[in-house]
Amino acid sequence: MKIDYKLNDKFDLMIFIPAIILIAIGLVAIYSSTANHPTASGNFLKQVFFVLVSLIIFLIIYSLPQQTFKKFTIPFYAASIFLLVLVLVIGKSVYGSKSWLDFGPIGFQPSEFAKIGTILALSYWLTYKDRDINNIPDIGIALIIGFVPVLLILLEPDTGTAIVFAIITLSLIYWSGISLFGLFVVLSPGIVTLASLFGTFTFALSLAGVVIALFLFKRDIFNSIVVFVMNLGASFFFDYVYKILKPHQQKRIAAFLDPSADPLGSGYNALQAKLAIGSGGLFGKGFMQGNQTQLRFIPEQWTDFIYCVIGEEFGFLGSIIVLILFLIIFIRLLKLSSLAKDKFSALIIIGFLSLLFSHFAINIGMNLGLTPVIGLPLPFLSYGGSSLLSNMILLGIVLNIYRNRKLHT
Amino acid sequence: MNDSSFGSSLRARIIFAIIVGFFCISVLQLFNMQILQEKTYSTKANENSVKPIYQIAPRGVLYDRNHNILVGNKPTFTLRITPAEYDKKLSPYIETILGVQPGYIDRILKQTQQYSRYIPRRIARDIPFKVIAWYEENASRLPGVDYVIETQRDYSYGVIGSHMFGYTKEISADLLQKKKNKYMMGDEIGFVGIEKTYEDFLRGEKGIQYVLVDSRQKIISSYKNGKHDKPAIKGYDLILSIDKDAQMVAESLFVDKRGAVVAIEPSTGEILAFLSSPQYDLSEFATVTSSDVWRKLNLDENRPLFNRATMSMYSPGSTFKMVSALAALEEGIIDTNYRAYCGGGFQFGDRFFKCLHVHGSVDVITSIEKSCNTFYYQLALKIGIDKWSEYAKKLGFGKKTGVDISEESPGIVPTREYYDKVFGKDRWPKGILVSLGIGQGELSVTPIQLAQYAALIANYGKTAKPHFLKGYIETKTGKYIEIKPEYFDIGISKKSFDIVRRAMFRVVNGAGTATNIRMPDIEIAGKTGTAQNPHGKDHAIFIGFAPYKNPKIAIAVIVENAGFGSVNAAPIARDIIKAYLKKDKIKIEKPAYLSALVNSGKNKSEN
Repeated sequence: MKIDYKLNDKFDLMIFIPAIILIAIGLVAIYSSTANHPTASGNFLKQVFFVLVSLIIFLIIYSLPQQTFKKFTIPFYAASIFLLVLVLVIGKSVYGSKSWLDFGPIGFQPSEFAKIGTILALSYWLTYKDRDINNIPDIGIALIIGFVPVLLILLEPDTGTAIVFAIITLSLIYWSGISLFGLFVVLSPGIVTLASLFGTFTFALSLAGVVIALFLFKRDIFNSIVVFVMNLGASFFFDYVYKILKPHQQKRIAAFLDPSADPLGSGYNALQAKLAIGSGGLFGKGFMQGNQTQLRFIPEQWTDFIYCVIGEEFGFLGSIIVLILFLIIFIRLLKLSSLAKDKFSALIIIGFLSLLFSHFAINIGMNLGLTPVIGLPLPFLSYGGSSLLSNMILLGIVLNIYRNRKLHT
Repeated sequence: MNDSSFGSSLRARIIFAIIVGFFCISVLQLFNMQILQEKTYSTKANENSVKPIYQIAPRGVLYDRNHNILVGNKPTFTLRITPAEYDKKLSPYIETILGVQPGYIDRILKQTQQYSRYIPRRIARDIPFKVIAWYEENASRLPGVDYVIETQRDYSYGVIGSHMFGYTKEISADLLQKKKNKYMMGDEIGFVGIEKTYEDFLRGEKGIQYVLVDSRQKIISSYKNGKHDKPAIKGYDLILSIDKDAQMVAESLFVDKRGAVVAIEPSTGEILAFLSSPQYDLSEFATVTSSDVWRKLNLDENRPLFNRATMSMYSPGSTFKMVSALAALEEGIIDTNYRAYCGGGFQFGDRFFKCLHVHGSVDVITSIEKSCNTFYYQLALKIGIDKWSEYAKKLGFGKKTGVDISEESPGIVPTREYYDKVFGKDRWPKGILVSLGIGQGELSVTPIQLAQYAALIANYGKTAKPHFLKGYIETKTGKYIEIKPEYFDIGISKKSFDIVRRAMFRVVNGAGTATNIRMPDIEIAGKTGTAQNPHGKDHAIFIGFAPYKNPKIAIAVIVENAGFGSVNAAPIARDIIKAYLKKDKIKIEKPAYLSALVNSGKNKSEN
């Protein structure tokens, strides 16, 4: 096959440029929210350093031969699981969750790298030879690959990241062409578990729904009973997990179910974030001019609440521009997945898309008061090296796939 | 499901729909928050971070009729502590310097611990300058301690005037409920006297300084460089009708005496001097009043807080004889030719009513001049209860004068209905009327009513409601705004007044009961009285006016438990009259300071 050497053919600017603009906007917002802060004023320079390091690693990943990823999938995944276990043993506690590994001056979050490992591992498993996605044992192993990290991360506990892993896992199974029944088998335990949170009545109602659905699918009695027991087991398991959750996480779930229950706790952050964004108006209050931001009404604003810095200081226009840049990246990723030359590569792109989108939706939803406060960074914008690095590595892999899309292996 | 292949276009479209769907929801929410509800969020965000700091406005100054200061303002130092920066180890030193009990600061900090630690607490007000000097020297070693300059009332201008000026007090929770839009917790509000009546003029407008605070209430900076700040605007200065000289003489003559003085300018109703004795020290109310001060004042058997001049109800005694005389003359019951015989008393039924002397044949003028009781015992019966009470009320008794301080009693003028109620219809002894003829019995009057009565006689029944306020100076414009007196005419003929006035002239200048106060250069007319006091020695009363031909001052003086009016009350009245009339006064309509004020106001508005 003929190889076109035009830059645009080897390097997808459609996705790279929006990502770079978002990183730049993030730096501006980080500067604004930390410049006058007594303890965080060094964060801007640290983030500049993280950006430079990430770009170098991105370029290295981009340049690697394509087969590398498949080769490294199993060791990478194994290392990820090892680190997730390690962090539970020797990890450092930050804001009530044990998610940090410290190596002298450098610390990082294993869960960020586990995202890459899990995406690679699931993509590998789901596209291995002639995989039948509707074969129950095959789904089961896919779920195990995806939910082992979910479980380990829940133990840290870091609810937000665990949700992201769950979404990635489900998205990849979905993309692999699971049937409606298969989807039901995968999703119903989650729905029943969620229903159980709202009390016994909704729990019983959702179980009844499962029974009716099982009748409608007209599967044999054995399979139906297995699925029903799975549902029951999942919700009891979650009940057990809920009880071992840290109080601040139980509160977050409670605040989600009844937002007025805890107005000064996590509700306080949500309210202050809404005030910051709402008071920004059409054009915003200007760079370094937002009262909510400059007077530090939102704790740790440069991490999970970076979007309300933009909302307050750059207004509706600034906020919309950020949303549009993300929209371009998402749609482009969806398009790139169809350009990939094999299913493994396509699944990696979908994995990256689901990772970015779940972060984006949960973070923006939280900032706009649409969803509960779940601590997750906004990709490319939030302060933090691990998150930026893992996103840039995945971007490197995606662009590597793009570069090699026309090559035969 | 017919579409179950890997990465089918249907699955792609579903994902596309989810992405675009979320994007649209976010855009709508942003539009809702930042465009539609921007005002709401901005207001809330500002409430969050923009905090007003209020500055108390100095109250208006009180001037007398000649523009001498009666009550001013002075700066005082208030020591404050900000707990967030304060080191509790410093407390013993500060407490020693302030001269307060150990543990005093700790107690205040505990009482206020529900507020943010960044808000300063007032520790002591009106602290002496030596404490400030000490603070200035040691400021660097006293973190979290500072002082602010606040204004408070200054009573050092030589006049006490406790009952007319009154005082302010921290607004009560009940009152705050009613005046929510104008006052805030902790505000001072006029509580008694002129401070209360003219609260709206005197209080001024609070200054507001907007500052930015962070999430811990710590002040970061001023808000928009003070663009929205408002300076405090001083309250209106009041020009009172009081004559400082007359007032000071009255106060000096009442040291160690109980009683009251009210002097009025007859033609305008302007109060020239006003005193209730004993007085109390208003400066004790200028800062936070300690409960010790309250207890002391409330337990004092002389009742210093009680305003005798407007609230104490005295029996008017012989000063009331002019009421009967005016009623009888005006109604044609008697004329100047009418005579009655005084043989030292009057037999009515089985009771003998005494007179102090045997006056022989007495006409109306002599009856007042010599204060003959017998004449009035008989006259009361001729006038009858209805006419008598009608004239008593015409002359201002039995109802509030409406003076511009709110502490006032109406007094009692008994009527037919009153006695019918007490004794049953027409079953009351007529001897009661005989007593009323000489101002004894159920009748009771206030000193301000007596002063108004003297003013009515002096000015032929025409005067104005007694009042303190002549006018005020609007702070913003510097304009002097005059208050129009409320004039009234009680409609008794000049002929009747002439007879009564001539008699009162003779009381002092003829062969009357107050010849002891006769003066060569000022012709005083008056009437003495001795009020029966069931609780002790009689009260001495004098009412009068001067100069006789063109009265400028009418006065009522009551000295409690002092016996005869001529000896004890009349000389006080004379001295006050002298102080008011005899000083070298060339009345200037606009004294220098006032025209300066007026001009500066004009210049401002022209610029």
